[in-house]
Amino acid sequence: MTLSSSQFMSMPLKGNLEEYFNIFIFMAVAFGISLFLVLLSFWRGPKRPDAEKLSAYECGFEAFSDARLKFDVRFYLVAILFIIFDLEIAFLFPWAVSLKSIGLFGFFSMLLFLGTLGIGFVYEWRKGALEWE
Amino acid sequence: MGGAYLPDLTLVLPEGILVVTAFLILMTGVFRKSTNPQVQQRFGHVALSGLIVALGALIFYHHPAERWISFEGQLLQDDFVYLGKILILSGSAAVVGISLASMLKEHLLSFEYCALILLATVGMLLMVGANDFLSLFMGLEIQSLSLYVLVALKRDQTIASEAALKYFVLGALATCFYLYGASLMYGFSGSTNFEAIATIIRMESAGNFPLSLFMSLIFIMASFSFKISAVPFHMWTPDVYQGSPTPITAFIAATPKIAAMLVFLRLMLEPFMTLYDEWQSLVAFLSLFSMVLGAFAALRQTDLKRLLAYSAIGQMGYMLLGVVAGTDEGIQAVLIYLTLYLVMIIGTFACLLCLRGKGSYGVQNIEDLAGISTLHPKVSFALAIFMFSLAGIPPLGGFFAKLYIFKAALSAGFFGLAIAGALASVVAAYYYLKIVKVMYFDDAPKVPSASYGQIVVLPLKMALILNACALVTLLFFVFPNPILEIVQRAAFTFSG
Repeated sequence: MTLSSSQFMSMPLKGNLEEYFNIFIFMAVAFGISLFLVLLSFWRGPKRPDAEKLSAYECGFEAFSDARLKFDVRFYLVAILFIIFDLEIAFLFPWAVSLKSIGLFGFFSMLLFLGTLGIGFVYEWRKGALEWE
Repeated sequence: MGGAYLPDLTLVLPEGILVVTAFLILMTGVFRKSTNPQVQQRFGHVALSGLIVALGALIFYHHPAERWISFEGQLLQDDFVYLGKILILSGSAAVVGISLASMLKEHLLSFEYCALILLATVGMLLMVGANDFLSLFMGLEIQSLSLYVLVALKRDQTIASEAALKYFVLGALATCFYLYGASLMYGFSGSTNFEAIATIIRMESAGNFPLSLFMSLIFIMASFSFKISAVPFHMWTPDVYQGSPTPITAFIAATPKIAAMLVFLRLMLEPFMTLYDEWQSLVAFLSLFSMVLGAFAALRQTDLKRLLAYSAIGQMGYMLLGVVAGTDEGIQAVLIYLTLYLVMIIGTFACLLCLRGKGSYGVQNIEDLAGISTLHPKVSFALAIFMFSLAGIPPLGGFFAKLYIFKAALSAGFFGLAIAGALASVVAAYYYLKIVKVMYFDDAPKVPSASYGQIVVLPLKMALILNACALVTLLFFVFPNPILEIVQRAAFTFSG
């Protein structure tokens, strides 16, 4: 049975929520169990804190330091190179799906695009942009 | 199945040739890994021949007096685009020709430079040939991204990286303006195609245009005013001109300005022509302030490239005066001005690139030219011609360019603007003539600075281009017909 939106809105609230009672019980149990486990580890777990464990986790950096720190430009390089090929994948999906209707011209257009990207890739490779040291 | 569909690829043959050449240069360059100057120079020659072959392909495959559309209305070529592409290709080729020796001297010549010049040229060709806001965006971005890298070529120099950063940040902002304007236009009309938009705006009743249309117009105008460096979007120009290496400045001053101006002209006259009453006062504002600021701000400059930057702002103001007129005569005047401007600016930079100081610097300050007329009479004579022409002294080319512009403005009824322009050109004449005065009447310094123009590097290509530019500027009034004819045909695209 399907309801139109106007019918749905005019239904009494009580009848609508009753169907979710099982889910409510499920959520309450899940919340209770996870709370119990967290508290258990707080209560019984061994605590040997050190500076590294207490600091906020951040990939590769000191969490708190001067904002004007020297920053290795290679991070940017890798990020930019990653973005290019990530976007290429995003571009390949719609092309693959619609390949049937765009025909040979669409197929070769994409090959041309991939070839162009390939030339860029060969260039960055030979230039040594992919080597960390 | 749309398998049978294949666009007319001969339309993009020049662009294709340039892209293939650029890729060829990139791949051979990166695999040879040579720092040998002769090898680098060979890359320059390959780039130069690529540009010339592309020019040949353009001329050979052109369909005169026809609206040649391909790629489902994304790209077109008519006589207007044809003229623009000829100017861009020959301008880029000339800049490569005059810059190779100087780039080599400054240890800046690399295969990347050649590839980037070619790719920037491809971007400009696509910009001028665009018939759709999306293909225009693509061309604009290919061109600007290549230019950002070119400006940053001397990246370990503070002034160069500052210029590059300024150019990049402001350029990205202008691109955002463009995109915002284009998306508003799509929201208004449901199309990104110029012709479709022109038709839809024409159907709208006059005086009842929605706000989104105005916003779109203003955003797009702002972004292209940035590209042609019209006041109040000119702030980047002096810094970028000064900061980038002189050969790169020559490139930025010449062809991208031409491409952006042509696109501005097409946008105003095709999709936005119905809104003439609305944009005319805005363009008049841009024009007036560019002319006045270009004249006054350059007066106190001591750096030659900064001076040329303000001069470019002023010259763009004169061209915009022709756009304001909006008549067939005005379009012709703008195109004549653009052609002669390209010739004059390439000639000026060729002169500056010839002269080198002892410290392997190019000339930087106006004083570096003091008394060089006795050392290098030919080069200083050529530079004097270009300065007189830029100032608009008869009977040189620059005078006629201004004459056509003022005539068009007067016959369209813009008396105040034309008078302001004439007065501004009188003020501007001061600094152009000052350069001539420094060259001919000042004494050479006893102890020349490191950048004092002494050693002349005048290879054959440079001499050829310099002479050609000087001859066109000198003899335009004797043989104006070749330029006038092609310009008339180009302007007929809009009126016919």
